Amino acid sequence: MYGEGRPTLLLLPTWSIIHSRHWKMQIPYFARHGQVLLFDGRGNGRSDRPENGYDEREFAADALAVMDATGTERAVLVSLSMGAQRALLLAAEEPERVDGAVFICPSVALGKPLAARTIIARWDEELESDEGWAKYNRHYWLRDYRGFLEYFFSQMFTEPHSTKPIEDCIGWALETTPETLIATQHAETLDADATLALSDRVRCPVLVIVGTEDSITGPGRGIALAEATGGELVVLEGSGHGPHVRDPVRVNLLLREFVESLP
Amino acid sequence: MIVAETAPEQSRARYPDADGFAERDGVRVFWELYGDGDPTVFLLPTWSIVHSRHWKAQIPYLARHFRVLTFDGRGNGKSDRPSGTSVYLETEFAADSLAVMEATGTERAVVAGLSCGALWGTLLAADHPERVLGAVFIGPAVPLAPPHPERSVYSAYEHLDTDQGWAKYNHYYWLEHQREFLEFFFGRCFTEPHSTKHIEDCVEWGLEIDPETLIATHSALALCGLESFRDACARVRCPVLVLHGDEDAIRPHAQGAALANVTGGELVTLEGCGHFPQARHPVKVNLLIRDFVESLERRTVWQP
Repeated sequence: MYGEGRPTLLLLPTWSIIHSRHWKMQIPYFARHGQVLLFDGRGNGRSDRPENGYDEREFAADALAVMDATGTERAVLVSLSMGAQRALLLAAEEPERVDGAVFICPSVALGKPLAARTIIARWDEELESDEGWAKYNRHYWLRDYRGFLEYFFSQMFTEPHSTKPIEDCIGWALETTPETLIATQHAETLDADATLALSDRVRCPVLVIVGTEDSITGPGRGIALAEATGGELVVLEGSGHGPHVRDPVRVNLLLREFVESLP
Repeated sequence: MIVAETAPEQSRARYPDADGFAERDGVRVFWELYGDGDPTVFLLPTWSIVHSRHWKAQIPYLARHFRVLTFDGRGNGKSDRPSGTSVYLETEFAADSLAVMEATGTERAVVAGLSCGALWGTLLAADHPERVLGAVFIGPAVPLAPPHPERSVYSAYEHLDTDQGWAKYNHYYWLEHQREFLEFFFGRCFTEPHSTKHIEDCVEWGLEIDPETLIATHSALALCGLESFRDACARVRCPVLVLHGDEDAIRPHAQGAALANVTGGELVTLEGCGHFPQARHPVKVNLLIRDFVESLERRTVWQP
């Protein structure tokens, strides 16, 4: 927890391949304008690494437990990528505790996966090749975890001059294990119907931020989520899958404008 | 005279409030002026392998506190590219600096010079004490201590049968492989990790000077005599601040330490920094420059 006063920004965990330090460009800025609450998702950072229990509902329940533990009645949710699903559950099902929701490059089952990534459907199979997205494969993770991380984060930060964010993320990802990541892949996520049904129930203001050069989810999923929730959409020209890291000033100003526009 | 093509410029955090040319012996140099504070901080050119944009991380900050003057050294940027070696001697850069001060009505200034900029910065401070309030030298390239040993292996002037490492620092190589040389050279300027943007910037600026002019500027710098430079250092009376990275792979830290010593200046060792700390560690460098400039005002009060 950082700073004091209202509002509280709850920076949600994303996929446990990284932990809460990926918000490091947001914390000092928003701690000057209110309160910032965040936690390491189960599976990475200083949080436990249970053998299973990585369903989206578990992450949502963890978020509520953290709000309770810190006496945080209400918060504005900010999520990245996989964090979108937890945020959607909270916004739809706990409306009295959520003042607004920001989805950055949301990874939800709307729109289409990127063509280059369709091989991920065969995540569980032994593949002939480990080129490109074929590295997103449980067998490869066990064989060459770092090789996967280097590839994955090079795709996350498609902007030039991203060596530092890539190095940071690889370091955080090495704090967990391929076995833990495999467990997260076995968890229950939200399918398209569930995503649409929850989106329909969201009553709080919503902001969706996507990057045109996002090589992980592509901008399409976020555009569909903005439509489904009736939220505002901001498309960042040239941004990849981590604009809050790579263009922090721009994203921080968007977040701040959104927070200040809330009733 | 060769006129190089200028690449389309990146956007800037701050644009000049005035700009123009100063002319001397038919050679025009391009200056820019920012802000209207006091005193003037005069950001000098360095070796014309880059132009005044190498100060881009200083200008917007310093211009909020002081009046900031800078110009493209002859040979690069929007300045002329006269031919011949003697037109690129350090005395020419010093004279251009004075011409720019005249053109902008700048009576006095705190001068700041990076690398070779310390040569003309020292000459200005030594020979025009009434116009130089103080001098900041960053990673100074001065002949007061030996160079890095790996830079003494190959001749810059003779045909070589290798182009490995510092063998790229060679006039014949520059004529054929300017970009490769620039990538190597700026790679050594920025020894800090995560410097890809800075290297890319500098390579782009380095391509704005043609190899023949680059060779001329380098030949002229090589003529800088140790004895006359030591004399100039001994004549410096203004306060001096020297910043030098302890990882500087272009110019050894010992050169900065020696310059601080002979000018009676203060030496700040920048830990982990390479040759262009003003670009790679701008906050640190900006605060040091600002503190130094503001300390001069206090000195004026206490030493009537």
